[in-house]
Amino acid sequence: MDSSRSAGSHGDPGLQPERTTLAWGRTVLALVTVSAIFLRWLPRHGLPILLLFAVSAAAALAIYATQRRRYTARSRGLSKERLDADITAVLWTAYAGVALGGLGIAVVLAG
Amino acid sequence: MTNSDQPANAGTPPSRGKIAERLLPGGEEPDPRFTLANERTFLAWIRTSLALLAGGIAIEAFTSDLFLEPVRKGLAVVLLLLGMLLSAGSAVRWVRVERSMRNKAPLPLPLIVPLLAGAGAVAAAVVLIFILWR
Repeated sequence: MDSSRSAGSHGDPGLQPERTTLAWGRTVLALVTVSAIFLRWLPRHGLPILLLFAVSAAAALAIYATQRRRYTARSRGLSKERLDADITAVLWTAYAGVALGGLGIAVVLAG
Repeated sequence: MTNSDQPANAGTPPSRGKIAERLLPGGEEPDPRFTLANERTFLAWIRTSLALLAGGIAIEAFTSDLFLEPVRKGLAVVLLLLGMLLSAGSAVRWVRVERSMRNKAPLPLPLIVPLLAGAGAVAAAVVLIFILWR
């Protein structure tokens, strides 16, 4: 196997698309952990906690479901040497973090 | 081959979408590697903020027989607030870095670093005062 093939179809020896996809994967794991910890609030704070669980689980699911598409787009962008910044994914992820923090503070202050 | 390779379209770059053209105006596309590196840095900050959120929830959920209620709630709110600010701040930082790279300007200083350090120190001080006074 020659070296250009083993570097992936994008030919980037730094494997940037792979590393970025793995970074998103780690973020999925962190979101799943957070959603699981939210469930520990259920006994004390009741059903509103399911909203928090839903936000973090939905964010994790949305990232996980788009991983393959994301990898393909980045891999293609690297081989063309032109890649648009993924502003939508960045903004949605940040919104999810802000929403989880805000809802969490509301729960702490109300309970 | 795509249309953008034809000479007729050489002067008009393909549309990048409304949000991108409003938040990341002007300049030229940076090296794709830089864009991806910026994204990974953003994700590292997001995971830090998620860890702070998880810590805030854990303190509120698991420490009722350890901390007095005001201390417990105060610590939880500090951590959750910090997680929230870091989430927003990491997106702001990502946009500012992306803008700098588009314009080949020096990267901005990270304002979220003193934010994280300062709030971490406040949280540690709350615990320290609690331990000394209890």
